[in-house]
Amino acid sequence: MSDEVKIGVVSCSGEDCLGGTISRLATRKMLDEIRPDETVTICLPLFLAGGAEERGFAEAYPTLAVDGCDKLCAKRATEKYSGKVSDAFDVSSLIGKEAAESKPLSTRYLTEEHQEMVNKVAKEIRIRFENILSDYYKNAAQRIKESGNASNCGCGCTCGK
Amino acid sequence: MSSMSKKVKVIPCSGMGKVHGLVAREAALKVVSELCPADAETVCLAYIVTGDDEAKEKIEGAPCLTLDGCPKMCAAKNVELAGGIVKKGYRVVDIFKGHRGVKPGNATALTEEGWLLVDELADKVKENVLELGKEG
Amino acid sequence: MSSRYAVLPCNGLDKSVGCIAREIALGLVDRSESDLICPVLFRVSDARYSKMAAEKPLLVIDGCSTRCASKLAAEKGLKVAKKITVTEEVKNRNVKVGKSLKLGDSELELAGSVVEELLKEEKKEESAAGHEFSTITYDYEIYKKDKFIFRVPRTGFYFNENDCWVVVEGNRARVGVADYVQQSLSDIMFFTPPAIGAEIEQFGELGSIESGKAVFEVISPVSGVVTAVNENLISAPELINENPYEKGWIAELELTDFESDKEFLLDFEGYFKVLKRKVDEFHV
Repeated sequence: MSDEVKIGVVSCSGEDCLGGTISRLATRKMLDEIRPDETVTICLPLFLAGGAEERGFAEAYPTLAVDGCDKLCAKRATEKYSGKVSDAFDVSSLIGKEAAESKPLSTRYLTEEHQEMVNKVAKEIRIRFENILSDYYKNAAQRIKESGNASNCGCGCTCGK
Repeated sequence: MSSMSKKVKVIPCSGMGKVHGLVAREAALKVVSELCPADAETVCLAYIVTGDDEAKEKIEGAPCLTLDGCPKMCAAKNVELAGGIVKKGYRVVDIFKGHRGVKPGNATALTEEGWLLVDELADKVKENVLELGKEG
Repeated sequence: MSSRYAVLPCNGLDKSVGCIAREIALGLVDRSESDLICPVLFRVSDARYSKMAAEKPLLVIDGCSTRCASKLAAEKGLKVAKKITVTEEVKNRNVKVGKSLKLGDSELELAGSVVEELLKEEKKEESAAGHEFSTITYDYEIYKKDKFIFRVPRTGFYFNENDCWVVVEGNRARVGVADYVQQSLSDIMFFTPPAIGAEIEQFGELGSIESGKAVFEVISPVSGVVTAVNENLISAPELINENPYEKGWIAELELTDFESDKEFLLDFEGYFKVLKRKVDEFHV
């Protein structure tokens, strides 16, 4: 397997409200523009339907759940089928509950205001994404340090001297 | 409320990874918000699968039309599992098969050609919604 | 040859449609090599049927929209190959069935005609079956990149560097594309088969497959004459995505000179290295 770190971003499908549309578009922005090489998007319907590739990835790699509303489908599904998420948030905390719960939007009718919301959420995803990456590297460095200390003195003991 | 419960449920898969999922989603939205809002409504698939009571109540025993992006048929399978009656399961790939060479866009945004496919699928779904409405 | 399903009926006892579901299941088991799964026993103890359900395609027969058999299959995590719902069959065939739990002529006729159709469908699939390659074993090695899984069969398969495979039995060969191809193309929508009787040179074109992303020419790993094509792919090219090594095979050939062709082919180990390099270098 490749050594690169990848983070799975699990977005809600968002059919019931604007929050879902924004969540979806912001996640796509991460994949298309912001961090294309490190982002893997997890298709929630496929994940829920038992997709082995989606679930297997989410078990092995850090995940960030992005939900459109307080039902938290993406977060709950990831935790149920693949273990604890590294981070999660609900877009209504950024764009407001009223906006998030308004009617779902076709991408045909995206306005400047909607695009602003997408950018705002994408920015939040990026920040959390980078925190997850940073934690990942810190933990990896710590593990290397610990395994290095065990055999420093050359006699094969674990005295660390 | 009672008139809402008689509406045909149009449920897309909304898959994130491929353009097909976006076409499914947009077609469903067009049907329920523009073409026949009085006869059809959509239900979020994630709610159905995560066991949301309100969503389950809406689809249990109700006539459903599912719009799946790809042959994995996530929407059709899960709606059936939750007790919905899938009257017809549409596959976006079948619409694409009638338009060889078309470049519809990607999972983020559709091209003009992509929107034509959405319109075609939405029209087919609308016909079915209206027929089911007559039966119901 | 006859059908070979693992049949899971709902066995609903309180409605005539449940009894018809049972009748269909019994008819199919009687007239083919299908096996029956008792839904009641399966619910409480799946050990007896798990192997059968894994080896044969699963046919689920529900009496009504309660869909008990479908729900049971989903609970047990089974992949359903085909589904019948008796109430839908009644509607589509425009027949009348009574409410009595004892089946009359009309109900038995319905059951019989559903069984006939199932047997005919299986015959149609088998006509695309070509030669029976009985010695193929499917034992896969897996290589993962991000969320993508690439499978390569460990034994019996040879590959060219164009990601096309061949299995050989005597003087016959079956050809297809590797997992890397179907992953790269995503949903395959069109299949252009080679002509039956066409003489193909090694590394010549053996038809093509197309998705929304690209057209892929199938490059033949062997030289020979085309004797069969997988006709199922014409209406369902997505079978290649589902399983490119089994039901997604492309064509069969009568070989011209496999011993010479083999020198230019890779075995599992050779191809696996090529695959890993391609996957690591290119984002699928």
